[in-house]
Amino acid sequence: MKRRTFLGASGLAAASALMTHPEKLFGQERPDLVVVRNGEPASLVREAVQALGGMSRFVGKGDIVVVKPNMSWDRAPEQGANTNPQVVAEVIRLCLDAGAKKVKVFDRTLNEPIRCYRRSGIEEAARQAGAEVSHIFERKFRKVSLPSGELLRSWEFYDECLDADVFINIPAAKHHSISGVSLGMKNIMGLLGGNRGTIHRDYDKKIADLNTAIKPKLVLLDAYRILKRNGPSGGNLADVEVRKTLVAGIDPVAIDSYGVTLFDRKPAEIAFLSEAVKRGLGTTDLSKLNIRTIELKA
Amino acid sequence: MLRTARRSVQILLLGFFFLLLLLARYPFENPFPVQFFLTLDPLVVFSACIAARALIPNALPALILLVLTAFAGRFFCGWICPLGTSLDASDGIMAKASRSNTPEKTRLRWIKYGIWIAIVSASIFSIQLAGFLDPMSLFTRTAVTVLYPVFVYFTDGWIGLMFSVGFLEDTAFRINQALQSLVLPVHAVLFRGSIFIAAMFLIILVLGHYQKRFWCRNLCPLGAMLGLFSLFRLYRRRVDDTCTECGLCHRSCRMGAIPKDVRKTDHTECINCMDCQAICPVHAIHFDLRSTPSAAPVDLSRRRILGAGASGIAALGLLRVGFRDSVSAGKVVRPPASLEEAGFLDRCVRCGECIRICSTSGAGLHFTALESGWEGLGTPQLLTPAGYCEYNCNLCGQVCPTGAIHPVTVDEKHRIKMGTAHFNKATCIPWYYGENCMVCEEHCPVPEKAIQFVEKEITTIDGRMASVLLPYVREDRCIGCGICTWCCPLTGDKGITLNHDGEQRWPVQEG
Repeated sequence: MKRRTFLGASGLAAASALMTHPEKLFGQERPDLVVVRNGEPASLVREAVQALGGMSRFVGKGDIVVVKPNMSWDRAPEQGANTNPQVVAEVIRLCLDAGAKKVKVFDRTLNEPIRCYRRSGIEEAARQAGAEVSHIFERKFRKVSLPSGELLRSWEFYDECLDADVFINIPAAKHHSISGVSLGMKNIMGLLGGNRGTIHRDYDKKIADLNTAIKPKLVLLDAYRILKRNGPSGGNLADVEVRKTLVAGIDPVAIDSYGVTLFDRKPAEIAFLSEAVKRGLGTTDLSKLNIRTIELKA
Repeated sequence: MLRTARRSVQILLLGFFFLLLLLARYPFENPFPVQFFLTLDPLVVFSACIAARALIPNALPALILLVLTAFAGRFFCGWICPLGTSLDASDGIMAKASRSNTPEKTRLRWIKYGIWIAIVSASIFSIQLAGFLDPMSLFTRTAVTVLYPVFVYFTDGWIGLMFSVGFLEDTAFRINQALQSLVLPVHAVLFRGSIFIAAMFLIILVLGHYQKRFWCRNLCPLGAMLGLFSLFRLYRRRVDDTCTECGLCHRSCRMGAIPKDVRKTDHTECINCMDCQAICPVHAIHFDLRSTPSAAPVDLSRRRILGAGASGIAALGLLRVGFRDSVSAGKVVRPPASLEEAGFLDRCVRCGECIRICSTSGAGLHFTALESGWEGLGTPQLLTPAGYCEYNCNLCGQVCPTGAIHPVTVDEKHRIKMGTAHFNKATCIPWYYGENCMVCEEHCPVPEKAIQFVEKEITTIDGRMASVLLPYVREDRCIGCGICTWCCPLTGDKGITLNHDGEQRWPVQEG
């Protein structure tokens, strides 16, 4: 193709695209938060990322991307204790389509790791989507100082994640008996070394401290199924509610604040969120945010 | 020719033994008979059958071995036994230093019959002793708790060394990931008591300094049993007329089975290693079915039999009172679907297969020291907080060679209560420090959660009043898996502990 024909053709294409989508010409404001409802896991992800400006906004060509699902438990997808495997797979595909050199998937699990990777369905789905799935290698934890931490001054974080170009957090939405909910900020715990149990004393302050060290470029909160009681490990299908929802954005606090509402609670009731605001990690004021809600039809 | 075949078979089977050990790991979806060497062992199988007064599953391989032994003698010792193969390897080193083949020293050989008689008579009285000295149990146990961890330690050490060299970092990571699918564990487990198991194994190896295959000649109870079954073997050593009586075979026989009169053979000792046939300068030695009146006398005079029998029975009386005691009987948490304690002890041969496969899951099973008396020594127990029982795991029962742990489905296992967790209110973070904590509750795998909270105002450790979520155990829901104890963030005395209260054994009475 000659340059002139190429330019002409692309100009024509652009013009016709603008005619059909006039809002793009005048730049509709980008949403702070996207909520997609009523779809299957993969389409929820596609729509959400599209509405945020496409994956190329977050992932550049040749980037190393870490996609961090929650696969803590030896539980099947329908038990709602881990991130939905199809959500994980679709995020990986979008990253690779956007030109990522490599997508890595891992989690420091709570049950025996090989079991969690298998039963969650994430290992298989992620491999098929083209990601590199690996088990935690203890030597790869590195001490990170937390200058703005109130209770924690440093903690060990997983090297692979610190060194990645892009970190995408894809938590599952679950009930949690101490903090009320387990959402995106809590999912960071899968990147931590050391005795994580101790974090549960003064949990709210500590989880906010830890989130100052590592900031995701994109957060996709999987609420296809939510675990309403007996979280975060669940086990009882009666505690699982199918919501077919996904919440996406770049402000981790805003996403968790919206996530709280899925459990019929208010962000103000959740202590770790106000701690996060104190540390300047984001906002809990949903009324000030531009939230775009997309309803998919089956 | 046959000697080369024997050596190849030995090496292959030793490799096979370790392969089976590695295959005993989660997910274990296409169950491989990883307990093969134990089910092949008639001492393990029949002592368990006699003690339990029942035919255990998998008894067939051992029966076949006995029939073959009656026909061809102790070929198991020479060709199959992984301990025998290890001894041949180490004797190669030991013997060079000492040249000690001592063919004339045969006076200790009766000891193994004494041990065997003691084991059999004890099993008649439902006391299971086979596991302590049976070579398959002993070697499996050693492989699980000593050889494999040592191998892992060095392999991991090399990977760590590579990892510390900047440009090899990624290669080291990749090697580690690749080896994790079969060879390396995800978490290395160290086993309690392995020092004693290692010491026992080393002593057996070092005895080779005094005599080649010292263990097999003088101590091994399985060797004794197979020896007795070889008394009238048909396939045997034969020396033809070309023999010059040079005595080379007499001096070099690793079992001391060839007396000074080299035309004779002790058929209970000969393990068909084929050395004598291979080294005979005039090719006078054959192994075939032609009968020759060539048996050397067995080391079992009537006096010896009576002596061994009498000491066995005397020992029984001592064992009965010393082995079981009314203080400590059964005070441990057993693996899920274990038989009731007496039946469990009748069958458990202390091989460590369950402990091996558990080490790839929750790593909760360890050998019992003296918590349940001498009779429980070396049997498996769920030992928290070293590890825990993984909720969706039922693998220990799948690999138990004698059915001491019953094989159950995962669904059945979910409903079996192994014990009960108890809060230790003198250390538990909410109960004692007055701070919220929920790590045990979040790990509790039971769908309805056996750990619940009640919110209460309490006086804290520093005298404040605080409203705290206090955890408590729902005894009716707790299955005793012990993950709560394992995950408790306290590093000293845990805030929650596990004991065998309310345990159910197989078969479980429903309702």
